[in-house]
Amino acid sequence: MTRFFTELGLAAGLALISTAGAQAQEFPSNVRVVIGSTSTGGDTYQASSFIASALSEKLGINAKVDAVGPTEAFKAIARDPSGSTIMIHHDQSYLGYLYGIKGYEDIFATYKIGPTLAVNPGNAYLVPKNSPYQTIGDVLKAAESGTRVRVAIQPGGVSEIGFSALKNAAKIASPGSEANIVPVNTGSQADKDQLLFDGQADVINGSVQSNEQYTRLAADDQKAMRFVWLTAEGSTIAGGNESGYGETGRDALAQFASPNASVTLDGSSDFTFDKVFFMMFNKDMDPALVAKIDAALKEIYAEGKLAETLKANFFVPAYRPTDEAAAYLQKKNDDYAKVIEAIRQ
Amino acid sequence: MELLAHISPMFVLLVFVGTLIGIIFGAIPGMTATMAVAVCLPLTYSLGLQEGLALLLGLYVGGISGGLVPAILLNIPGTPASIATTFDGHPMNQRGEGEIALKLGIFASLFGGIFSLVALYFFAPALADFAIKFSYVEKFLIIFFALTIMGALCSNMLVGVFSGVLGVLVSLVGAYSTDKGGNGEYRLMFEFMEPYLSSGFSLLPVLIGVFGLSSILIEAEEGVPATASTTGTATARQKKFRLTIFRGQGVNLFRSAFIGTFVGLLPGVGGSAASIMSYSQAKAFSKDPQSYGKGNPAGIIASEASNNGLTGGALIPLLSLGIPGDATTAILIGAFTLQGVQVGPLFISGNTDVWNMIIVAMLLANIFMFAMMYFAIRHIARIVTVPKYILLPIILVMCVVGSYTINYGIMFDVWTLFLFGLFGYLAHRIGLEIAPFIIGFILGPSAEIYFVKSLESFGTLTIFFTKSWIAGVLWLLIALSIAMSVWMAGSAGRAARDPK
Repeated sequence: MTRFFTELGLAAGLALISTAGAQAQEFPSNVRVVIGSTSTGGDTYQASSFIASALSEKLGINAKVDAVGPTEAFKAIARDPSGSTIMIHHDQSYLGYLYGIKGYEDIFATYKIGPTLAVNPGNAYLVPKNSPYQTIGDVLKAAESGTRVRVAIQPGGVSEIGFSALKNAAKIASPGSEANIVPVNTGSQADKDQLLFDGQADVINGSVQSNEQYTRLAADDQKAMRFVWLTAEGSTIAGGNESGYGETGRDALAQFASPNASVTLDGSSDFTFDKVFFMMFNKDMDPALVAKIDAALKEIYAEGKLAETLKANFFVPAYRPTDEAAAYLQKKNDDYAKVIEAIRQ
Repeated sequence: MELLAHISPMFVLLVFVGTLIGIIFGAIPGMTATMAVAVCLPLTYSLGLQEGLALLLGLYVGGISGGLVPAILLNIPGTPASIATTFDGHPMNQRGEGEIALKLGIFASLFGGIFSLVALYFFAPALADFAIKFSYVEKFLIIFFALTIMGALCSNMLVGVFSGVLGVLVSLVGAYSTDKGGNGEYRLMFEFMEPYLSSGFSLLPVLIGVFGLSSILIEAEEGVPATASTTGTATARQKKFRLTIFRGQGVNLFRSAFIGTFVGLLPGVGGSAASIMSYSQAKAFSKDPQSYGKGNPAGIIASEASNNGLTGGALIPLLSLGIPGDATTAILIGAFTLQGVQVGPLFISGNTDVWNMIIVAMLLANIFMFAMMYFAIRHIARIVTVPKYILLPIILVMCVVGSYTINYGIMFDVWTLFLFGLFGYLAHRIGLEIAPFIIGFILGPSAEIYFVKSLESFGTLTIFFTKSWIAGVLWLLIALSIAMSVWMAGSAGRAARDPK
């Protein structure tokens, strides 16, 4: 039994190492899909799992999603040009760089941008159910009138870009009032929720997927919340599942998005932000492999099964092949760079 | 009977297999319950929610429980939550009571698991509502309370506190992560280290290094006779386990299971803090605190009842709020996500079938864990009869393999293992205390983030005293803990001067 026990331990360890070694050599049989999130409960893991599963089936490979976080994921694709490691992440990949967060590089110069896959239109801002702010406009008006509004965000990414947009809108409406919109920097969604429960934030960044149930609680419940803003374009939400998410329908959610809920970008048009998931590869990855993934995804999306799964989970299917994706994301990068620059001045 | 409607042969089989694999993961240094759940999570996409959760919950319970095996037999905590098990488990093993220590741990684990399951089933929503009263301020005070225990764990209080503070300092190496609301800046390192230490030192390689590798180095220095085993005594002479060993331990069992469950329901505090707090409370209320750390069965009971109490506790905020209570349940939430099931404040009322199934799976996992470990342990305990010159190299290989695999193949983790193995060896030579060092290392990052965030939110130190009545209670416990440490250090000093 002793021998069995020790041998079992060694075998398990050696098996893991040999698997890792095999992965390094046998693409496309084994593909490690690293994602820029350490959470397996978030939208990145969810979307990536659906896509990895569909790719596995289509290409006859074994694609496994690893939730390693952005820094480790970037390192993983940087050291592996074989194609056995690919990355799926969202706009945080370039926003982190724009915000100057360590560990982020210019993805357009450092990696090969792959196809876009889906949009999560659920990036949201919420207030307590008994908050005096009924709309995002009320939040901006409060800032204009000199009231300090505390917004809980995770710095340096998708969570912060909406916050930057709020500051930008306040600055346009009444220069100087942007100082009244202050960040409460925190981490996970649980931390942001807790700040709201505890009265340490007036507004929090959240998501339809994470917070929808809280919006259905009775107003006298300490945990009850209300959506005031969804950063996605109204047209993006219109492309999602008609039944919306949970018990909140698509049309009800669209009430919190532009043009119904307005945060100005430049005084004439609204700021919007669609959280787009896309692939990234090692800069030196064989273009033939990239083409193979592109072709497989094109077929997968055309078949419609993946699109149905994504829609059922409140994602909007958004496949763009590699060439188009790079240009599309570069333009987004440039647009949001202006917003961030505007509030720095 | 509604609960029994969810049992199918496949369901039971998956709980069984999950528990078995979990125990194996927990028993191998460097592999944890979290890792077991992460590795198997993608399987649940094709299994479906109920079967997937059956497997994952088995892995969770098994993984937490399996950690006691290497903690007792090899002095290497199989999981961070079993650190306190080494304090008395390994000394018992060294005096030929390894099997007794293991069986004690298994009974205590079962009790902790069932206790927390009862809390989960009957009180989940109410407890979750209580948990959200713990803001950054209260969580910092809980961590601070756990840190004050360092002094009580050492033979020399001053050295212990120094070692603990050193552990906190080392834990802060790396980025002040934006994932936790930090500014992403690197601290306590030179620029050339940034590619390796951006995320700091990984916990498991540090843990295995200071406990496992350092022990091997010490053994190597002392020399290993060809016939020597880890106990130095033959198993034939080992004492028999009897339930009477639990006599007088009822309060300890309930208190430890309660602490484990309670800490489990506070997201971001962690299993290590739970077992350490339970251990210190057992020691503080003992009539013979000096016997702790020298093979007192009550120490194992406290640690194991507490870390298994965590399992049900950590599921409370997950299933009542959608907020994971610990690192493993943070992965577990992925099983719901993959199936498109919302976990939040309305989950239990809206998903009665899944809820009942979770309870059944947890109950079965605890029963399977107990049966598998109790009846196999006699054979596993015989590992101590393997001559050290064979066993120690095998342990060394396991340490390296475990460190390499913990982050899916990062070589720097192996260097971390060696670095902290050497540190552990040197600490032993110069008299530093390892236990407080590792407690400081584990709790340091949480202490920092909760302290800084409290100040950022409220802007004044007085908030730590005025925030709530909970803060007042925690300060009382902190004061008692410090007083107890000072008293124990004083009485230990007097005993040393006047041995009689």
